[in-house]
Amino acid sequence: MGAVTAGGLRRSAVTVFLLVALLAAVGASLALGAVKIPLHEVIDILTGKDAPGPATQIVEVLRLPRTVEAILVGAALGVAGAVLQGALANPLASPDVIGVTSGAGFGAMLIILLRPEDLDLLPVSALVFGLLAAAMVFSIGFSGPSGGGVGRVILAGIAIASMFAAGTAALIAAYPDRVPSGIFFLVGGLTSDGWNSLEIIWPYFAVGFVLAAFLVRPLDRLMLGDDVAASLGSRPRAIRLTAAVAAAVLASAAAAIAGLVGFIGLVIPHIVRLAGGTNNHTFVIPVSALGGAALLVAADTLARTIRAPIEMPVGPFMVLLGVPVFLWLLRKVV
Amino acid sequence: MPDPRAGTDSASGQAASVTPPLLEAEAVQVTIGKTDILKRADLCLESGELVAVVGPNGAGKSTFARAFCGLQKATGGSIRWSGEDISAIRGRRLARLRAFVPQRAQVPNGVTVSDAVAIGRSAHLKPLQSFSAVDREAIASATSRARLEGMEDRQLNTLSGGELQRVQIAVGLAQGAPVLVADEPTAQLDLGATAAVSELLRELVHDGYGIVLIVHDLALAAAVADRVVVMSDGATIATGPPVEVLSKELIGEVWNVEAELISHEGRSGLHVEWLGRV
Repeated sequence: MGAVTAGGLRRSAVTVFLLVALLAAVGASLALGAVKIPLHEVIDILTGKDAPGPATQIVEVLRLPRTVEAILVGAALGVAGAVLQGALANPLASPDVIGVTSGAGFGAMLIILLRPEDLDLLPVSALVFGLLAAAMVFSIGFSGPSGGGVGRVILAGIAIASMFAAGTAALIAAYPDRVPSGIFFLVGGLTSDGWNSLEIIWPYFAVGFVLAAFLVRPLDRLMLGDDVAASLGSRPRAIRLTAAVAAAVLASAAAAIAGLVGFIGLVIPHIVRLAGGTNNHTFVIPVSALGGAALLVAADTLARTIRAPIEMPVGPFMVLLGVPVFLWLLRKVV
Repeated sequence: MPDPRAGTDSASGQAASVTPPLLEAEAVQVTIGKTDILKRADLCLESGELVAVVGPNGAGKSTFARAFCGLQKATGGSIRWSGEDISAIRGRRLARLRAFVPQRAQVPNGVTVSDAVAIGRSAHLKPLQSFSAVDREAIASATSRARLEGMEDRQLNTLSGGELQRVQIAVGLAQGAPVLVADEPTAQLDLGATAAVSELLRELVHDGYGIVLIVHDLALAAAVADRVVVMSDGATIATGPPVEVLSKELIGEVWNVEAELISHEGRSGLHVEWLGRV
């Protein structure tokens, strides 16, 4: 505990590594692109030492907001996955299982396909439908005598998710000609749209992260079983509900900004647990935020530079970066 | 027959002194749906006393324990911890009055013995607060009380059944509550591990803990308990020193088997007519 143990050293190493990776990715994200801006100039711009010019414009209007978005979305999805996997004691849990992903996808496609002239509404619509789907899952999953049980919540999630997925499929079938503009959202991708979306969405990130911070200890108690958690004065059902709400808010906000970015929510918490050798939420939750942010910033930089000026959606690049790491850890550790 | 190990006078019934008993449960009732799981159960616990709750399968022992610990809502009767009604005690405060040690340990991956014991102590923390020196001291002392020293860095999923059970008890001890309620802690243990856990519980009683032990094994109950409470069909039907209460007649009536309890200075056995009543 207080003393330095082998486990503690390993956890510190993982944290430091991810912190360095995040810093490197942020540096690359600000410096690289159609116009390469040297790192010292980026720093001068950020600290306000540089005279205004085209480089300042590029960093402040295009790259900085996008990098901040990538950090927030990556961290939010990492935390959402960690919190849900802990609360449902299920390694396969991710924001998908509480319906958020399908709901947000439906909300976005509604705007893209039915109201393409009001594309500004996309983040809000994705957020609202993501939260709506989650609320439906909770109202079914947490009611009744067995309410709040893991099985009930997951089954309710699958049912509601299928419903919204069917809605999305119906929309796509009805407007096949407009589908291409929705693909970017469906596979997940960031855009250089300045601070506009973040100005609306940031409170949801804030609420989600604060809830997650308060869930760290209760989720640790839940690991020892519902009875031990109850013995320690927690209410298992309330913990699960709070965790699901936190995950829903974070994942909906993430979808509003970056579309349906998969993978992070499911795999990052596992990578963090495997690498750190512990399931303790004091470690897993904050480090999943760090890992998710590092991966998404790195993948997004890659996605928009590899065939510049064409921007590729970030989803596939993230998988390209993340899956080999995950498989290596899986072979090495388990 | 007063028990010399108990340290307190067993005539606790008349202890209507200044301090109320640690736990006083009267006429506790639990109804789930339309089924009366628990019809009328009573139990009183003083510090420095080990009370064993015995009874056949389905008599309501576990439900009773969960009800007076606040893990299961009681639909009737009264439950008081140190004189205060349980409905007025919430969360972390209740956690510091009693620790419930469940029958089956959940064994998560990636959790060490010291992690688990520290989680037990977390009942003393406000959200986002971190452990103080006092908390660390309590964690270390719970670990050594449960004889887990040197095993702090072992993962829970590498432990034997007996070791796991000691971890469970250490988690309860770290809570810093004066009462430990253990639901069948020895049900899955071999003889040696059962004896080790029994010895540990007796030591804790000697140090002033009040312990409620839900237990199947009448011989074990007779050896470790100061008093037994017999449950049958959702009600407590008898209470008192083990050898007096667990008579041949009562065992025959409640368990429907011919058996005799033999108990002498910490040794005990049950002579059972296994094939008797055909």
